[in-house]
Amino acid sequence: MNNQAKITKESKNKIRADFDRAPLSERLKAKYLNTYFYKKILMSLFKFLLLLGISYVILYPFISKILQSFFSPLDMVQTDVQLVPKYPTVQTYSLLFTENGYFTALLNTAIISLVCAIIQTFVCSFIGYGFAKFKFKGSKFLFVFVIATLLIPPKILASSLVQRFVHFDIFGIFEATGFYEALGLQSGIHGTYIPFLLLSITGLAFKNGLFIYLMRQFYRGIPDELEEASYVDGYGVFKTFFRIILPCSVPMLITIFVLSFSWQWTDIFYTNIFLPNSDKVLLTSNAFWSTMPETLKTISEEVLIGNDTAQASFAAIVMNTAGMLVVAPLIVLYLFCQRYLIQGIAHSGFGGV
Amino acid sequence: MNNIAAKKEKSSSKRIHKGASLNARKARMGWIFVLPFVIGLLLVYLPVMIESLGYSFASYNKIAAIQGGGYTLTWVGFDNYKEVFSMTVDASSGETFIEMLFKSLGSQAVDIIAILMLSLFIAVLLNTKMIGRAAFRAIFFIPVVVGAGIITRIDATSAEILATASGVLEGIDQGAVEGGGLGSIASSMDIGAMFENLGIGGGLVDIVSGLVENIFNIVNRSGVQMLIFLAGLQSISPSVYESCEVEGASAWEIFWKITLPMLSPMILTNAIYTVIDAFTSESNVVMINILGEELTLSPDPIQSAKAWLYFAVVALALIIVSAICSSFVFYQRRNDD
Repeated sequence: MNNQAKITKESKNKIRADFDRAPLSERLKAKYLNTYFYKKILMSLFKFLLLLGISYVILYPFISKILQSFFSPLDMVQTDVQLVPKYPTVQTYSLLFTENGYFTALLNTAIISLVCAIIQTFVCSFIGYGFAKFKFKGSKFLFVFVIATLLIPPKILASSLVQRFVHFDIFGIFEATGFYEALGLQSGIHGTYIPFLLLSITGLAFKNGLFIYLMRQFYRGIPDELEEASYVDGYGVFKTFFRIILPCSVPMLITIFVLSFSWQWTDIFYTNIFLPNSDKVLLTSNAFWSTMPETLKTISEEVLIGNDTAQASFAAIVMNTAGMLVVAPLIVLYLFCQRYLIQGIAHSGFGGV
Repeated sequence: MNNIAAKKEKSSSKRIHKGASLNARKARMGWIFVLPFVIGLLLVYLPVMIESLGYSFASYNKIAAIQGGGYTLTWVGFDNYKEVFSMTVDASSGETFIEMLFKSLGSQAVDIIAILMLSLFIAVLLNTKMIGRAAFRAIFFIPVVVGAGIITRIDATSAEILATASGVLEGIDQGAVEGGGLGSIASSMDIGAMFENLGIGGGLVDIVSGLVENIFNIVNRSGVQMLIFLAGLQSISPSVYESCEVEGASAWEIFWKITLPMLSPMILTNAIYTVIDAFTSESNVVMINILGEELTLSPDPIQSAKAWLYFAVVALALIIVSAICSSFVFYQRRNDD
């Protein structure tokens, strides 16, 4: 092989070096006919198939539930129907829209989720910053309570929590002034949206302990020099937090926002214990997702006379359809925002624990 | 020597500043930052917690509506706990609550390890360049956003309806109606047969086939962990990998010597999160037993006693797990503690 470069002088201070190139076929052979290349192809194929398989595991319930949502009661007694309905119908959807009031519930849920998520994101970052950057007596002890709020399932506390909100009072002020009677609230703030807001403001809402924990980890990763520089420049603690620290943590805040928004959206527990009456229906209220529309019930009873199992299966399918309707807006939103979520978490880089 | 000098300087500077020192002022600021949580704790959470703890030491008597309704609570000491200890949960097998608790601890431990390994593995895969990476990432985080809670709840409720309707679960297309329905795809029988031919002990076969049956559950529960691991992987500087490759390290060595130690803080975070999540999830056998089928809004002393006993066990498990994990954690820089 002649690897000697041909050097020609182009101008006074510029030279040009030409090499002999091997013919194309040889170059391709060297590039593609070796074990390294095969190994790479095999590895990526293996990876691709593995991820495809796990994606299938994740998507299968969604696919099956969406297909089943088009089942009509008649499909329940067809032995050859597994996934694809023989008599497809959109009746289930249309009745859930009209009789169960899907759109009002959607609007209510959207508003409450948005408000709660904004409050929770802000409050949790605030509290997390306090735990991460300030050393005060009792901070570790207090943090144990943050973990405890995560550990104690809220369901255990449900009855006490409801009692608390029915008789909600601060040092007896509300009772003394007749606050609730004036507003016409028989059961205190229970049955209104206030418990949601109260829990959000105090960082006690669903899984907020996790958000506080994550924000604390994140702020611990931010070097102290950043704040010291800002103090030296005359900023106070709060100005530093709002002007320096918050802008630094936008990606992490987006992550927390997405998590709190979607978890508030799909929360069944708090919705049903705080809003048991049916005048304020959210998507996750029992009145929406686990109540079968009356018309659908009579239809299914007519078509499947005496076949209890088939009727129950159809009721389950209606419930699944309602569930799909609950998560559908969320998934659409997610598909638009997922880039920010993943970028946000990817650039956040949690610090040490 | 140096240290003593520094100390002297510190104390003298304290004497010069009269009033609050900088540290004291910073401590006060810390309280202001955590104030919302403290208010919530004092106003809502702590009273509720103490009330529930109180129920567990009391017996509950309902007063008839004629006599004014309401209820009375009388102090009975540890009687409720004693009852929980001797309580049988399964009439047919005679299994007690404590036995169930320990059985569930064992199965949760297997699940937790599986979740951690799977999420780490997938995060590493998703972090490499490949075809359709963006699409895969989008799919893998759907369970996080959808918050699998509502889906599992619906599955549980529909399974309940079916069970009450048919008595025995052999409906028309039961498999399709019930959630994952993956049992038919990866039948554990096949896996059992496959492993028996390999001559591996029966215990291990049971664990593996249990995991495969449970794969839907495990994948769905590892979303947040994946997210956290991915964030950790992104924060490892690519130049570290580059220098390793230049030095001739294989991918295997790079994983064990670089990726794993650099990720160890995330492993601790994830282990703690997974433990909390696993023990408090609604699909947990013990949780199902504690919560019962109906959500009751009247105080239930036995339920409270069970819950607090379980809480103590979980707290203990959490302490053990975090102690084990933190001894393996490698910190790039120690900025505090």
